[in-house]
Amino acid sequence: ARKFTDKHEWISVENGIGTVGISNFAQEALGDVVYCSLPEIGTKLSKHDEFGALESVKAASELYSPLSGEVTEINTALADNPGLVNKSCYQDGWLIKMTVENPAELDELMNEDAYEKYVKSIED
Amino acid sequence: MVLRSSLKNCLQLSCILRTPKADFRNTTSGGLIVQSVSNDVYQNLAVEDWIHDHMNLENRQVLFLWRNSPAVVIGRHQNPWRECTLRLLRQKKIKLARRRSGGGTVYHDLGNINLTFFTTRKKYERMENLKLVVKALKSLRPQLDVHVTDRYDILLDRHYKISGTAAKLGRTTAYHHCTLLCNADKFVLSAVLKSPYKGLKSNATPSVPASVKNLFEEDPSLTCEMLLDAIAEEYATQHQVDHHITVINPADETVLPGINNKTKELQTWEWVYGKTPKFSVNTCFDMVYKDSVLDVKVDMDVKHGRIEVCNIDLPEQWLPPALCSELVKSLTGSKFCPNETTTLATTLLRVCPQDDELQSRWNLLCENLITLM
Repeated sequence: ARKFTDKHEWISVENGIGTVGISNFAQEALGDVVYCSLPEIGTKLSKHDEFGALESVKAASELYSPLSGEVTEINTALADNPGLVNKSCYQDGWLIKMTVENPAELDELMNEDAYEKYVKSIED
Repeated sequence: MVLRSSLKNCLQLSCILRTPKADFRNTTSGGLIVQSVSNDVYQNLAVEDWIHDHMNLENRQVLFLWRNSPAVVIGRHQNPWRECTLRLLRQKKIKLARRRSGGGTVYHDLGNINLTFFTTRKKYERMENLKLVVKALKSLRPQLDVHVTDRYDILLDRHYKISGTAAKLGRTTAYHHCTLLCNADKFVLSAVLKSPYKGLKSNATPSVPASVKNLFEEDPSLTCEMLLDAIAEEYATQHQVDHHITVINPADETVLPGINNKTKELQTWEWVYGKTPKFSVNTCFDMVYKDSVLDVKVDMDVKHGRIEVCNIDLPEQWLPPALCSELVKSLTGSKFCPNETTTLATTLLRVCPQDDELQSRWNLLCENLITLM
């Protein structure tokens, strides 16, 4: 199940590894992504830590870690094809994979319904 | 005339946030105009960071006015080797800075003004800001043919770029900054914003070159001060506040706590060069030595500004193979930097027998390697 932060990142955990990306709302707001700056494998992140940046035609925008954990993989396809973040933000446009150091932090995040409601409330 | 307040008026910015102005009627249109006393690009970029990180912009927006002594400013994800002639920058003592916003490379000098519009993320609106600038320019000189393009450039006479834009979106705040060419040195600008480096392969964000013109060329009566004043006036009008400019000193820790650390960070090699996206150099050059021309092939992968992989192909036996492999080994892991390479090369040569022929060949090779950096 996908969980969301109020900064529009999502995380989906499977077998102790969380895949992180940005939501559709975020990719639309960002505009066409032209560059993805991602961390090194092995980087230790705390919840809310800045782990990278996306540069789009609109602006450079920081990425914040939804949980605490260690980066295990980064999406190397984004180096040559940063537009994947726009085209497939929930699948091929994933950003990083990380371990979940503190599963309780997941409970603090919004589920899909709660996130939808949250997005509606900001849009108003 | 721009109000140059004395240091007494150097208010603590955090104070300004906490005490709402007496005549504050509409909380969403509050505006604060600040101007830097410094012409140092690192200090001024640090002020941007500080405002971005520390100010609450829910009820008040900020316009920051600044100018820099000669500097080349590259975007967050750019490659300085690809964007400018570093050798020339070093020669002319022009500073190189990497900003935190995206976008392309620009040349700053005192004939260029910089404007930063700070808002909450929600209120981020580049077009509005640029239209404000155009309105200010037209109020000064109604006959000026200036307009905003959909690339967020401002063009003069439909053709010449006088302003470029970049932006950063943070957690809760955002800023949009832009340049405005009043009377910059176009000769230096075009000389430095060229890359002589061949064989660079990189996915760093590229710049889009443009023909530029100074507003001064269109109307010699215009000065930077006049432009700054007109823009501040327009901003004040639109935000329904007094046309008062708060002067700030980017070196003052009491007004901007933590600012000196931010300034330092922006000057580090790790930030300026080390943040360059991974790139490779694949090139060959001819070395003329005595009566022969030698073909040298160089391949390097540079990551975080350091040489990760290094390969140098020389004609066999032109230099002792052991020395060459030592060079490659030493270069691997070292900074892609002329000074570091020179030091490295000099150190290696010391362990060799005193041989003039060897020395001159070695120096020739190293000089050529350095031109790549």
